Amino acid sequence: MAKVSIFKAVITLLLPLVCLSFSPEEPTDRRILVLVDDFSLKSSHSIFFNSLRSRGFLLDIKLAEDPALSLQRYGQYLYDALVLFSPSTDRFGGSLDLAAVLDFVDSGHDLIIAVDASASDLIKNIATECGVDFDEDPSTVVVDHGSYAVSESDGDHTLIVSNDFIRSDVMLGETEIQAPVLFEGIAHSLNAENSLVLKVLSASPSAYSADPSSKLSSPPTLIGSAISLVSVVQARNNARIMVTGSLAMFSNRLFRSGVQKAGSPNKYPKSGNEQFVTELSKWVFHERGHLKAVNVTHHKVGETDEPLSYRINDDLDFSVEIYEWSGKSWEPYVANDVQVQFYMMSPYVLKSLSTDQKGLYHASFKVPDVYGVFQFKVEYHKLGYTSISLSKQIPVRPFRHNEYERFITTAFPYYGASFTTMAGFFIFSFVYLYQK
Amino acid sequence: MARSTGKDAHALFHALRSAYAATPTNLKIIDLYVGFSVFTALTQVAYMAIVGSFPFNSFLSGVLSCIGTAILAVCLRIQVNKENKEFKDLAPERAFADFVLCNLVLHLVIMNFLG
Repeated sequence: MAKVSIFKAVITLLLPLVCLSFSPEEPTDRRILVLVDDFSLKSSHSIFFNSLRSRGFLLDIKLAEDPALSLQRYGQYLYDALVLFSPSTDRFGGSLDLAAVLDFVDSGHDLIIAVDASASDLIKNIATECGVDFDEDPSTVVVDHGSYAVSESDGDHTLIVSNDFIRSDVMLGETEIQAPVLFEGIAHSLNAENSLVLKVLSASPSAYSADPSSKLSSPPTLIGSAISLVSVVQARNNARIMVTGSLAMFSNRLFRSGVQKAGSPNKYPKSGNEQFVTELSKWVFHERGHLKAVNVTHHKVGETDEPLSYRINDDLDFSVEIYEWSGKSWEPYVANDVQVQFYMMSPYVLKSLSTDQKGLYHASFKVPDVYGVFQFKVEYHKLGYTSISLSKQIPVRPFRHNEYERFITTAFPYYGASFTTMAGFFIFSFVYLYQK
Repeated sequence: MARSTGKDAHALFHALRSAYAATPTNLKIIDLYVGFSVFTALTQVAYMAIVGSFPFNSFLSGVLSCIGTAILAVCLRIQVNKENKEFKDLAPERAFADFVLCNLVLHLVIMNFLG
């Protein structure tokens, strides 16, 4: 009796845990593991952490060397996202290591990496695996003598200012970030051939990556706009990774600080850091810019059932529903650049889908004059949105022998000639027989 | 020289015409029929040269019906011509019956092949 009641109590206690993960129905992350070097970050970055908590995230702040660290237990991941605020860690504690972090991302989970001048090789390697290359020289930071933050003391211009944002309302929110962002940290660059990685905040053309305390012996390798201050990666499985070289960008100090760019008369009482970081974290944690495409249907014009195959030169209707996650619910996605392909080794038909503003996209077209096994393909890769790759296979058959046109117009003279010859033969035989 | 060639051509033409006028009427009717069906065949070939040979089976069917019936008419003419020593003993009715039967088979095949 007691055992049964204990069992029931344990079940009811465990039940809430079942609802605490992100699922395809609710793509926003819920539980986030934050790894820090020491717990002073809890207070120095408290505004950021509290804003995450107020948006409904469950934060678990742990030391990076905590021996009890683990991302998964019995094959299930315990967290939906990982935030690495531990730049100087050489080894993670517990069962966490480079491979474990990469598996975490490969299984579709999100990651934020922030380093500073004390970045260790481990963290830099994680970033390199994600497509972002930090400057190899550990003593370098980003220095900008043209775009630094004006302060009372004559600094070495390592606290720089930038407002060279990526143009994307989905990533950075619809309200424009007026005040520029303060940055203090190391530089990274992106491989130009990598199509999955994007520069969200670039350095100004006068920036360079060098050691501020020693004289430059040779020109720095990373200069100008090739330096990325904040980058994001959206992997093919729609995991989102944000990498930045400045842990201080998330700190209370820079959130609250006023900003004045050198050489510019505009003085902003509050930097754009808080708005920038909040909006970008909304994108990284799938509160925005997450699409789902459901209900791919196709049928012949005039019918409602999906046929098992089409015939060449049939007219057909294709429709798909696309919804966008608003953070709380699925809203209809409205765009005019979604296209469908009728594809067999190459697209025979490429048509833009028109929407009814309620999430239903449809198009009508004629099956091409080629038979074979085709696919309806919707490949939608828009900047900042999850990629949609749908395909549905359908065979297309040629005409049956009784589906061709009965009489061919160009052959009418031949039909006429044959019948004329028959008539001529008939008349001739009469005339021949009855002539005197 | 040109004038004498012109005169010769005229003379030749007149000679042919007068010789032809001597043929019996039934042969002239057959000749007319052959001319008509060859003309129809040539019209079809000219049409095909312009438009292209798309339904080739229809083209062949039309042309061969005309050429076939022309050939059968020529055979009838040979068998019916009284000046022909080889077919002296063949009754003209028999020749005509053969002609009609062959034409029936020909047109049956043509209708089938016309598509």
